[in-house]
Amino acid sequence: MDDPLIVVALLLVAGSATAAVAVRDPARQALVLAVLGTVLAVLFTVLQAPDVALSQLAVGSALTPLLIMLSVRKVRRPKRREETER
Amino acid sequence: MTRRVRLLVMAVGGTGLAALLVAACFDLPRFGGDQHPYGDRVVRASLARHTANTIASVNFDQRAFDTLGEMSILFASVLGTVVLLRQTRDEHRAAPEPEQVALPVRRYALLVLPVAVLTGLYVIAHGQLSPGGGFQGGVVVATALHLLYLGADYRALERIRPVGSYEVADALAASAYLVLGLAGLVAGTAFLADFLPYGTFNTLSSGGTVPLLNAAIGMEVACAVVVLLANFLDQAVEIEKEGET
Amino acid sequence: MNGWTVAATAALAVGVGATVWGVATGPLRRRVVAQNLSTSLACPALLLLSEGYDRPSYVDLALLLALLGPVGTLVFARLLVEDLAADPPRTWGLTYAVAAFGAAVVIAVCVAAGPSRALVKLLVVGALLIGGNLTASRALSGGFAGSRRG
Repeated sequence: MDDPLIVVALLLVAGSATAAVAVRDPARQALVLAVLGTVLAVLFTVLQAPDVALSQLAVGSALTPLLIMLSVRKVRRPKRREETER
Repeated sequence: MTRRVRLLVMAVGGTGLAALLVAACFDLPRFGGDQHPYGDRVVRASLARHTANTIASVNFDQRAFDTLGEMSILFASVLGTVVLLRQTRDEHRAAPEPEQVALPVRRYALLVLPVAVLTGLYVIAHGQLSPGGGFQGGVVVATALHLLYLGADYRALERIRPVGSYEVADALAASAYLVLGLAGLVAGTAFLADFLPYGTFNTLSSGGTVPLLNAAIGMEVACAVVVLLANFLDQAVEIEKEGET
Repeated sequence: MNGWTVAATAALAVGVGATVWGVATGPLRRRVVAQNLSTSLACPALLLLSEGYDRPSYVDLALLLALLGPVGTLVFARLLVEDLAADPPRTWGLTYAVAAFGAAVVIAVCVAAGPSRALVKLLVVGALLIGGNLTASRALSGGFAGSRRG
């Protein structure tokens, strides 16, 4: 554990993962989750696991945000309609 | 069960689990040690079968049965999504309005789409040589197609994405994996055995059945993700409950 | 550790660390910019790591991030368009600074690689990284008109 690169990557993951739990609004949570995915990929690279890092990048950088944001949009839509009708 | 009893049961279970985990952690090898008994054996086996990327050898040869399980999980979960997110009787489809996209963004999306599809196919094809493989490349190909939704609008995406044929291709790719496994049983020794000639080390055709199983997984994942996103997009963009205008 | 991994450590600790802070706090317009910059800072860091570990195949990681990172930002720009239209981000100075950092890293790695097939791949990564970063910033500050459905 004396490699500063591993320590930096671990600290970044711990920070962004804590933030992903602490943020309450789902849309903002998806933003933190996207950053967490990138940081996790960096950690896997630093630990010499490029295959896992590639999986994390492929899933975490665009697919997960898209799924979450589409769900948020579906859940929010009726509410917005009511507001415009009023 | 009252709330207090439930909490008590959970506390007992949680304490036991924590104690076991802590005890297990003390017996782990140290972080970053130089003794890798599994790693050495895996590397030796993958070199003997002419597969340059050891991870691909583990995924599609030495532990190919595990990958079959993982593929079935993805297949089943996409199937579940299709059933759950189908259009019900009290819902109707509304045509999505076209989105006004700024010209640089539209150009970027249309330019990057073929590059991303090509990169995904490259990642699948080089799975047994360099980091990557069917899962990663398949996700990239499927994500790339959705640049049409992001850079143009949903109708442009629907034109190149007949969901029915992607569902069929998903099932076909899943069966191709099974058939390759059965071929190993017929031609070789066991289910999912590597029965093809191993080829020249570090070339595209090396590794026996590894590239074929890899390609099957790539197709399965790409089609599964397209179907998954299609159902989410339908729900978010098109399908509305009766009474909503 | 060599010079490349030291540079990668610095880029991660200062650059990506700042974006983690930026995405976790503040108004939405700051968070989306931080998300965009996190990919455009992590991608040069991955290039530096690939060079530092002397593993050319790790460039694939940077290639994937340069491709998919801006796509992720486009997702947010497209689906948060109503929230962003009311309060659009204006951080072109920061975006250009990060793009210049990415260009500098790509040039340094290209010089180290020398003329070869790897050079072409590195140039593709650089073009995707900088083009994607600038386009995603453009998309965040009014790239979509925001129809109510679609």
